[in-house]
Amino acid sequence: MKIEIAKFGNKLVSRPSGREAYLAMESYLLKDLQKDEPIEIDFLGVKALTPSWADEVVTKIAERFSNVKLLNTENSTVEATLKTLREYSDLKI
Amino acid sequence: MNTDLEKLVFKWITTETNKVDVSGDFYCQTRDVFEARNDKMPEELIKKGLDDSLAYLVYAMAGELGNNAFDHNVGNWPNIMGAFYAFDYDGKDGIIIIADRGVGVLNSLRKAVPDLKDDLDALEMAFTKKISSRVLENRGNGLKFVRGNVSKNNLLLEFFSGNAKADLNHEMKISVSDQIVAGCLVILKFQNI
Repeated sequence: MKIEIAKFGNKLVSRPSGREAYLAMESYLLKDLQKDEPIEIDFLGVKALTPSWADEVVTKIAERFSNVKLLNTENSTVEATLKTLREYSDLKI
Repeated sequence: MNTDLEKLVFKWITTETNKVDVSGDFYCQTRDVFEARNDKMPEELIKKGLDDSLAYLVYAMAGELGNNAFDHNVGNWPNIMGAFYAFDYDGKDGIIIIADRGVGVLNSLRKAVPDLKDDLDALEMAFTKKISSRVLENRGNGLKFVRGNVSKNNLLLEFFSGNAKADLNHEMKISVSDQIVAGCLVILKFQNI
């Protein structure tokens, strides 16, 4: 399963909008998947990302699934957000 | 204070409640208004020549700072709800200002850490420890993101709350401020690469 983050917007900032995005993912993308289902989170096309938004999405996906890969993380805000989540939100990927 | 915007925000945050300007373009009563204005910011900066990557970086930082104002005060504003939000860029130097007349960092963090001593301790904790006043939720990483980006990208950030001020660049220095800010006031300065 590939999750294209840019389909939720290319500027992803607030925690409430991240929560809404995850609820939509749960209903339409992740619903019947097993814990070991390979998940790719693709940041292609994302211009700005914050830890608040990503904490509601990336951290939760990483907690629920055991085989998660991150793709196209070169954007400076994506890199900085993932670094922050690894340091302060126990993100393991 | 060295710009008109800085003078304006200090006036906005220190003036008496019944004299606060809530009709101007800088006032965002709700998160929706703040986000709508902030969403236009990076493209406006890029149009004036700012490097794309820096524009989206300062936009993301402003997003964290502005959302903090609403996250930690919603339903609990002491007087005027909402935030002051302004930015400017002249092709070389840029500034983003966000302020709120909320409960401030100390009162906010004391919900999670009741024995916090003063405003200086509160700012130190807010920028360095994983902690949030919204104790039932997993939060508290936005200011660490801001601090990391200030240091990595040679930006300047001043953060006032209560009688404390944090000056951030490659290092963070927390001191007693001559400006008392009931709530929070943040000034982020950047230069084109």
